[in-house]
Amino acid sequence: MGEQKSETEGYVGQSVRTIEGRAPVMGKATYTNDINFPGQLHAHILRSPHAAANIQSIDTSGAEKVAGVVRVVTGAQAAEHIDPIPHYIDPAVFGGRSASIRCLALDHVWCFGQPVAVVVAEDKRTARYAASRIVVDYEVTTPVIDSEDALKDDAPMVVPGWDANMIMQVPFGGGDVAQAFSSADRVIKTDVKVHRFSTQPIETRTYNGVYDAGTDSVTLYGTVQNPHPLRNVLSKILRMPENKIRVHAPVIGGAFGMKMHGHPEEGLVCFLSKLIGQPVKWVEDREECLLIGAREQVHSVELAVTKDGTILGLKDHYLANTGAPSSCPGWGMAFLTGLTMPGPYAVTNLDVQLSAVVTNKPGWNASRGYGKEVTALALELSVDNAARELGIDPVDMRMRNFIKKDQFPYDSPTGLIYDSGDYAGVMQKALDAIGYDEWKVKQEKAREEGRYLGIGVGFELTPEGGTLPGTFVAGYDSSTVRVAPDGSVRVLTGVTTPGSGNPTGIAQIVADELGVRLNTIEVVQGDTTTCPYGFGNSSGRSTIVGGGSAAKAAIEVREKIIKVAAALMEVDEESVSMKDGIIASGDKTIDLEEVCYACYTRAYDVGSVIEPPLEATAMFKPGLVRHTPNEKGQINPYPSYSNAAYVAISEVDVNTGEVKLLKFSVAHDCGNVINPILVEGQACGAIMFGIGAAMAENITFDENGRQLTKNFMDYVMPRIGDVPSIDLSHHDSPNPVNYKGLKGAGEAGVGGSAAAIVNSVNNALTPFGVMMTETPLTAPRVWSAIQAAKKAQPQRKVA
Amino acid sequence: MSLYPAFARPRDLGQAADIMGGLSTGAMIIAGGQEVMPSVNYGALMPEVYIDVGQISALKGIAEEDDGIHIGSSTVHRDVQDSEVIQSKIPLLSYAAAQIGGGMQVHNRGTIGGNIVSMHPLYDILPSLLALGAEFDVLRGDGETRVALADLMRDASHGLGSESLLVRIHLKPMTPGAGWSYEKLKITAGGYGSANAAAIVTLDGDKITSLRVVVGAVSALPIDISDALGGCRGQAWSDHLAEEIEEKASAEISEPLSDHQGDGDWRRAMAGVMARRAVEAAVEKAG
Amino acid sequence: MEDMLEDTVLVNLRINGKLHELEIPAHKSLLDLLRDDLNMTGTHMGCMTGHCGACTVSIDGRVAKSCITLAATLGRAKITTIEGLTQDDGELSPVQQAFWDEAGFQCAFCAPGMLMCTTELLDANPDPSDAEIETALAGNLCRCTGYQSLRRAVKAAAKLKQNTREAAE
Repeated sequence: MGEQKSETEGYVGQSVRTIEGRAPVMGKATYTNDINFPGQLHAHILRSPHAAANIQSIDTSGAEKVAGVVRVVTGAQAAEHIDPIPHYIDPAVFGGRSASIRCLALDHVWCFGQPVAVVVAEDKRTARYAASRIVVDYEVTTPVIDSEDALKDDAPMVVPGWDANMIMQVPFGGGDVAQAFSSADRVIKTDVKVHRFSTQPIETRTYNGVYDAGTDSVTLYGTVQNPHPLRNVLSKILRMPENKIRVHAPVIGGAFGMKMHGHPEEGLVCFLSKLIGQPVKWVEDREECLLIGAREQVHSVELAVTKDGTILGLKDHYLANTGAPSSCPGWGMAFLTGLTMPGPYAVTNLDVQLSAVVTNKPGWNASRGYGKEVTALALELSVDNAARELGIDPVDMRMRNFIKKDQFPYDSPTGLIYDSGDYAGVMQKALDAIGYDEWKVKQEKAREEGRYLGIGVGFELTPEGGTLPGTFVAGYDSSTVRVAPDGSVRVLTGVTTPGSGNPTGIAQIVADELGVRLNTIEVVQGDTTTCPYGFGNSSGRSTIVGGGSAAKAAIEVREKIIKVAAALMEVDEESVSMKDGIIASGDKTIDLEEVCYACYTRAYDVGSVIEPPLEATAMFKPGLVRHTPNEKGQINPYPSYSNAAYVAISEVDVNTGEVKLLKFSVAHDCGNVINPILVEGQACGAIMFGIGAAMAENITFDENGRQLTKNFMDYVMPRIGDVPSIDLSHHDSPNPVNYKGLKGAGEAGVGGSAAAIVNSVNNALTPFGVMMTETPLTAPRVWSAIQAAKKAQPQRKVA
Repeated sequence: MSLYPAFARPRDLGQAADIMGGLSTGAMIIAGGQEVMPSVNYGALMPEVYIDVGQISALKGIAEEDDGIHIGSSTVHRDVQDSEVIQSKIPLLSYAAAQIGGGMQVHNRGTIGGNIVSMHPLYDILPSLLALGAEFDVLRGDGETRVALADLMRDASHGLGSESLLVRIHLKPMTPGAGWSYEKLKITAGGYGSANAAAIVTLDGDKITSLRVVVGAVSALPIDISDALGGCRGQAWSDHLAEEIEEKASAEISEPLSDHQGDGDWRRAMAGVMARRAVEAAVEKAG
Repeated sequence: MEDMLEDTVLVNLRINGKLHELEIPAHKSLLDLLRDDLNMTGTHMGCMTGHCGACTVSIDGRVAKSCITLAATLGRAKITTIEGLTQDDGELSPVQQAFWDEAGFQCAFCAPGMLMCTTELLDANPDPSDAEIETALAGNLCRCTGYQSLRRAVKAAAKLKQNTREAAE
């Protein structure tokens, strides 16, 4: 742990503690909300209490009378100064319907919680109180809440002027599906409903806009995953050039996709600061944070199978309830769900179709898994259901259908190119780690005692490092490595950290490539003024492209240092080594600082062999991506296909419906591991998301589309006592096209682990014939399913 | 509703009575703040006056007197848990206090009085107090009156708002040898209950001689189902009795809660399951 | 009666050893007092309803959620925040050190609560069981670690504290 590492090996592969971890344990890490400026003002947003309504009038006079209020702004007033928010991923680029999104609603609201007006005051409490004094006259209209209702002929339009409540319909697949289905022994249909749930980082979104009249420039301090792309978005909203805008992301308290941009409040605080001439901060409260949803999908998966469990074909026309239009990239998750079909399975006959539906629920934002978690849920629940119908072991069914490890690179029927993998090996490792066969014996014994243990497996294929043409979802990134005259190192990189530890992973890579000690490296991220252009964190990309680009830059700088060291020592360059900050040639050694100082100060003699300063900027762009459509019009937006197998052991209390998780196992293929303790953190964190998803986290609405979930009493997230011990093993099949064979470790696990849990519960309840394929499996739902099964099969006598 | 509330720190009950008597609505009694502050923070509650009762010594402490055990209303959950008197004489209450959600932090600041006064359907203290036959001293303008919790709860406007002050809780020690249990069904470790039951049982040999059972978190207020289970007296524990308790307990829930924790059918059924389990555990402990 | 009402409240808080005499408005939470008035930003705002625990501080030796604690009720309390865990010589406490070493956090937004609760737990119980750790941290949400490394960090802190104690003897 810590600085220690073995003498012969480098830092890569070692569990070193994070270089950025000292400040937070001292309470000294600076998050966005920790920053205030002289004259700091605070904004509170008035939000629509209705899911659908026309705004007849807004009377702000009551709010303006409250002492301490500086300014009240309505949507109509804001629209005079600022433009709509550009989409992170514009559906129009892909032939879909695109809506114009304003920071504040103009004359129509299309979801509960939509910003309608904003109050700026001297303190946040006054702003909140004053907002309650604004009177809005709404003409409430009928909302559409459910995705199936939204597609009915008489459904009201969510977006005025659209002719359908649909962003787009997208077909995925190929092969001869009709032939596959007609030649199958059985067609097994599974309706999988995945509910709306959210990432909910403990730090809510926070933005502080600081306008400087002297230079007519604005700085946004914010909880921002992607500072450079946001700068472009702000320039469009604010009608300012990008070089007058700085986006700075201080330490971020968890993101998981939620802090990707497109949110109305980002541009709003900048605009308000410019309007008023003082800094304006907005801090999201938890009720507001819970408005941001994701994932709600309805699948109807049909598997054409042979008696022995071979999948010949797969059909799945699914609906995604993406809520009201938003500029955030959330809706794209629905697209990825289809694109990632049929996951790890060697099924070539595929008929998948997405209907990305809009409704009057609040919109989505990106959420860890980015739609691939729903692919895993839909597939893994369907495979278990089919295995039960066929009377075969669910593991055997998976093993029979996995793509074999000698089939890579593998062309999927949706156009993806899987880089590498050993799915059966990964699955076997997870099973061995937990003792699959032993648990089957325990399960038998427990049933004799009237206890219901369940064993469930789930597999998740998680393409990582995604890049979509014509969007700021980019595949490459850049880093600068600077070595100062004293030999200390600063890495500036375009990737950002949500707290995952990637600065340490990048520093480990630089330490090895440069040949210096880890504790001499500082990593700077999240600032458009100081960092090279980059795309921040998303899609498990940060260590792949941040690390890859930093490695290339470090190699360039190292060459310079070696050259000057050779000149100073008067030896051949080839004889010079540099490791842990020690430069040596044969018996001779020279201090790193002495060489670096010479590089900067002796440009006309020994330093003339290089171009100072000791600095290089490099870019890393992974291969395998194909943005030129193939003959079927398909692209491959991913360079990397991490994957993992999950095994959950649960016990169901059949009298109450409670599910208790007893044990968990995961085998994870993220390519080579830079820092095991960090990868463990990502894997276990994602599993906890899966546990929350499978069992409790749920965002609900009343029949009028008003959100009922307002706080952490309503939105129930796992606590320490809810998460069992997790047995983690790595199964590395390195990515052949990425630096160090990296595949990305940040995203995988939400769907695979949730599927394993659902499958374990169904497995536990096999004696009742229960098969639940709608999440979450709350105790009341499980209980109801048992009651229904008991009624259907009264002959079964169960304790 | 005020953006600039006033603050009062009565030093004794007399001052508290004066202040409460002199104020109209809009005053809020505060001790630990655990119940009040979430609403204050979201602007749902903007009291005009906070009356901080934390300085009043009459509201503090746990004492064993000739007529029973007195618990000051501003005693925090942790002190109820840790009290040797309560652990030995009223172990049911000590255990129930330890089941309160929100973690150590809430146990350290939240008061038994605040928990009672909120009359929140999902909270953990009322079912046990009802089973234990608790009585309260309540300070109103005209002085202190003693009222049984059971009587208080019959009144829909239970009268424990800011116009009155819960001073202390009176409890009789549990019968030596009585078995007890508090069962709580919750959806997350450290969270709120979706159903619960408190039970106190005495046995003669293996026959039940007395039985108090209260089910909570399944309806607007906890329900004392002891009378409905009167037929259990004289019986020994059996599978048959267990089923009878479960059925009768469920049948007593005429207006079950239905919220994000679970619908009414499940709540009603869980009332039965919790009651059965509570009695079973209490019987096991008795003797 | 009117003379018993105050518009502002005088409190004398000893925070991390330093005395603060403050005249504060009645409505202010301890969290807002620490962060907004005293610029002690190590204590975090996560939910303002008392569910997440990121705002945890110690009041008179007992952990409390500062967002649901009305500052005006505190009188002369002694308060320790995460900033107060660092020892006088600048060394990290065993709990701080162990959480760092074992990756007991990632984004660290929950860290104030986790560290304060663990500190109180280990002061009372030098060798806690899994169940005792779960009880001690039941009021805190972490969204990053899945609690596995966090649990390990608590155990490592216990060991480190034990070693420090033995070394001192």
